[in-house]
Amino acid sequence: MVRKKALLFFVIIAVFILMTYQSKHGHVGSLPFLNTLLDATQSAVSSVTDSLSRPFRRMALREEENIRLKKRLDGLLLEQGKLQEAVLENKRLKELLKLRENHRNYVAAARVVSRGSGYWDHTFTLDKGTLDGVAKDMTVITPLGLAGKIIRVSDSYATMLWVSDINFSAAVRIQDSRREAVLSGTGSRLCVLKYMPYEEKVKQGDVVMTSGFDSFFPPGIPVGYVSKIDVQGIGGNFQYVEVTPFQDSAKLEEVIIVR
Amino acid sequence: MKYVAWMTAVFCALLLQGRVTVLGVVPNLAVLIVFYAGMRHGENKGLLTGLLVGFIEDGLSAGMIGPNMLAKGIVGYVAAFFISGGFFRWTPLFGMLSLFVLTLADNTIVVLLKTVFDKPPGGFASIVFISVMQSLLNAPAGAFLRPGHVD
Repeated sequence: MVRKKALLFFVIIAVFILMTYQSKHGHVGSLPFLNTLLDATQSAVSSVTDSLSRPFRRMALREEENIRLKKRLDGLLLEQGKLQEAVLENKRLKELLKLRENHRNYVAAARVVSRGSGYWDHTFTLDKGTLDGVAKDMTVITPLGLAGKIIRVSDSYATMLWVSDINFSAAVRIQDSRREAVLSGTGSRLCVLKYMPYEEKVKQGDVVMTSGFDSFFPPGIPVGYVSKIDVQGIGGNFQYVEVTPFQDSAKLEEVIIVR
Repeated sequence: MKYVAWMTAVFCALLLQGRVTVLGVVPNLAVLIVFYAGMRHGENKGLLTGLLVGFIEDGLSAGMIGPNMLAKGIVGYVAAFFISGGFFRWTPLFGMLSLFVLTLADNTIVVLLKTVFDKPPGGFASIVFISVMQSLLNAPAGAFLRPGHVD
């Protein structure tokens, strides 16, 4: 035990002397061989760990880039959607402008604000009213054809009755045969031609236009095409002719109001 | 063969010290080897192992030769004296506590010697933080590094 303590004591003294010497004369040599060996090993280990971790790092980078690109793509798609919408709106407005130029009885161009609140009514609210010259019973058209008529007006808004509403009717004629008839709404998305006699030959696809005889609608406005004919009719002396309006109510956005 | 294994362990510890950091603190793995050597092989071998490992550490550092030699030597000696010498009965918790204290002692001795004979190795706060962190990192190993008589 004493020898062990003596050894420790000797070591402490020796190290103290060594350090005292170094503090006066500068540090004694290092271990260049061991340093080189350790550095070389560190370098080798680094290259091995790098080569092992590189694929994972690349994957992480790609994942990061993927997320970034996806975000960018989402942004671009949104922007593209907006641009597309602007292009379509531009196209629609150009058509409306052309329609306005072609109609001498032009009153106002209106935007559809909303659908009518009634579940059974097929009406739309337009953003033009008496202040813009709009009045009851005026005709509402689109570049595709007849849309309806004005049934109620306030200063800034008007209510339009859709062409296929059950309360809607208009004097029309078949374009090819020039046969007159009365077009009525059915409450669904279709209309029917009333009072069409059996002997009258009506073909599917015949275009139906306003005749102007009812003194509400100007003549020559396309309304729709004949989509179904039942010569047996629904009883009585007339055949059943179904007309599909050219203008789809679900796609109604801007309209022209004419007298 | 035994010496080759010890040298390899020392080399690996030094290699690992250069590659691993925890919260910016490099672990003091060399003290584990010295602690184990002292615990398994007694005071003299613990002391000599500590001197050798410390000498290598000092040699690899840019500083003076001596502080790590003395600190590790004392750690090797004390590890044997306390743990395997019958002074205390070894338990895993005691092993952890010993390693914590001895790592702290190793750092304290090195800092003191460097301060006295060379220059302080850093600011007080950073020295305390590094020492405590190294001790905390080493402490769990004390539960697994058992003295020979426990096996």
